[in-house]
Amino acid sequence: MKIVIASSFVPFVNGGGRFIVEWLEHKLREYGHRVERFYLPFVDRPEDLFDQILAFRLIDVSSACDRLIAIRPPAHVLEHPAKVLWFIHHIRSLYDLWDSSYRFVPDDASGRAFRAAMMDLDTRTIREARHVFTNSQVVANRLMRFNNISAKPLYPPILDPGRFRNDGYGDEIVVICRIELHKRQLLLVEAMRHVKTAVKLRLCGTSMSPAYVELIKAMIAKHGLAGKIIYEDRWISEEEKVERLAPALAIAYLPEDEDSYGYCSLEAAHARKPVLTASDAGGVLELVTNEVNGLVAPADPRALADAMDRLFLDRGHTARMGDANNRRLSELGIDWETVIESLTS
Amino acid sequence: MRVLVLNNAAPFIRGGAEELADRLVAGLNATSGVEAELLRIPFRSEPADGIVEQILLSQSLRLYNVDRVIGLKFPTYLIPHPTKILWLLHQFRQAYDLYESRLSYLCNCESGERIAQLVHSADRECFLQSKAIYTNSPVTQARLQKYNGFGSDVLYPPLLDGERFVGGEYRRYFFAGGRVGPGKRQHLLVDAMRLARCSVKLIIAGPVDDEQYGRQLERLVAQNDLSGRVELRFGFHPRDEIADLVNGALACVYLPIDEDSMGYVTMEAFSAAKGVITSCDSGGVLELVHDGQTGFVSNPDAHSLAKILDQLGGDLPTARKLGRNAKALLESKGLSWDHTIATLLDN
Repeated sequence: MKIVIASSFVPFVNGGGRFIVEWLEHKLREYGHRVERFYLPFVDRPEDLFDQILAFRLIDVSSACDRLIAIRPPAHVLEHPAKVLWFIHHIRSLYDLWDSSYRFVPDDASGRAFRAAMMDLDTRTIREARHVFTNSQVVANRLMRFNNISAKPLYPPILDPGRFRNDGYGDEIVVICRIELHKRQLLLVEAMRHVKTAVKLRLCGTSMSPAYVELIKAMIAKHGLAGKIIYEDRWISEEEKVERLAPALAIAYLPEDEDSYGYCSLEAAHARKPVLTASDAGGVLELVTNEVNGLVAPADPRALADAMDRLFLDRGHTARMGDANNRRLSELGIDWETVIESLTS
Repeated sequence: MRVLVLNNAAPFIRGGAEELADRLVAGLNATSGVEAELLRIPFRSEPADGIVEQILLSQSLRLYNVDRVIGLKFPTYLIPHPTKILWLLHQFRQAYDLYESRLSYLCNCESGERIAQLVHSADRECFLQSKAIYTNSPVTQARLQKYNGFGSDVLYPPLLDGERFVGGEYRRYFFAGGRVGPGKRQHLLVDAMRLARCSVKLIIAGPVDDEQYGRQLERLVAQNDLSGRVELRFGFHPRDEIADLVNGALACVYLPIDEDSMGYVTMEAFSAAKGVITSCDSGGVLELVHDGQTGFVSNPDAHSLAKILDQLGGDLPTARKLGRNAKALLESKGLSWDHTIATLLDN
């Protein structure tokens, strides 16, 4: 089958939004399909939001391929008689984050009209699709709640999971994801002030917001945490990731109400490590059950510190939770065969 | 500096422009302090009415987190950006020279004139906003001047894989690479080998455009008992094999009829420090091949060619000298990726 994958991107920003696209591209080829991938630029700013969406709508691949798979918004507005969506999030500031500081238009008549127009546009263009899959139950629920569209979660696997290994359970709780405000690395840094054991924290990744990076560095310096926290302020290669995870005690991933479990949680599962997360982390909780394959703590420094100490002190329990995290993958059907079959049916 | 290269894309089709764009991005990424990505926007030139939408879509996109864009093709180069450099591979010719000569499909549709005008005004606006405009050849440069009234500097696309053509020994063979067909006149060369007395061999290697012509060459070799001196290697060859043949040649031969560019074959030879034997009617090749300096310019007949082959075949120092000059000339023309990238990042 000739398949076009369309997704949006911000040039020079890497992360999960690209992995899902490029890994799918790779796998579709492995399954014998011909694939063309298009990353289209998009920024969610109110002043030219609809101009950009118009541009997406005008892109015509309808006769160029047998199937269109659209991933990151607003790629779902592209037209194709055989359009399939792997919908990974809405433009959330106009949806579930409306009542938050992320909202970028005023909550007045014009702002509400703006929001309604976006929702109407989404609903209509999503309905054009032959199938709608999401990357999580959280996103499927939002589609039902805001657009009245029923969708099925299709959990995104990682590429080549066989490379992850487990060298036992050391002293480090590892965090490998973009360093951003909503990923709340700062909360973990604060938690390190309260730990009572020799547990260590390793933060790895790049950031779009230099101010947040400075905040983290300042917090580490101010509280003399340099001996307990290793901060690798750079892009971590896939090979390095394997090496960081293999000896780790656990991983931590506590985004604020995130849409999906995050690739780092899957990587942990493949390396048989438990996940430390927060009770308001959203999609992560579809994967992680407290005390089973990780610890779910309130998003509070002292509670998190307590959980970190427990992971450090009771290595037996930590190891058992790591094994359980690995079993969780097959329970949820997180594998490429399921993904390819769903998206090409 | 974050540099985004803008190109069109026809899904599932790859050609010279795609190769060039990829090479440019790779070169940019190999430059210290530069990060580069390629943005490809699907483009459909038909139906004609769709052109209007394509212009609108390009103008409606926004680029964030990008310090500089390098636009290669219409209409993707219309995407707004404050620091835009154009390296025009060609314009949308359906609205320009092809329209004027009534060969454009826009001439056959009712709104054709208006669409052509719209292309002109969108281009004009974009050209005015660009920091610099480069064109890939004097032909594109002349068209831009004639139809849009914009001046530009020619920035020739360097070889995609120039690093393969590093030169080497000057062995006892002449090499004629490139496509094989009547327009490239390999038959003249085989005929010249019949007349030449020197012991230098001739190797012809490349894909055959015209089967009948290929068979004609084979007959010519067989009938004149040249199989010991002329080797025909028809078909596509791996780039490394072509590079080996160029790198080890005494000199190269390229005899196209009125070519409009300098020809990759010429550039490959020059990069490998080999002189090129060409013909006085070979067009753009003569921009590089200067008689007695960087090669020899023959008349388009077997006797003149044979004389040159004999002369060069017995004179290794001259072959070396031509090669040295050729390489120096290529470098002086700025035909390297380092120079191209430095130019595109300047301003």
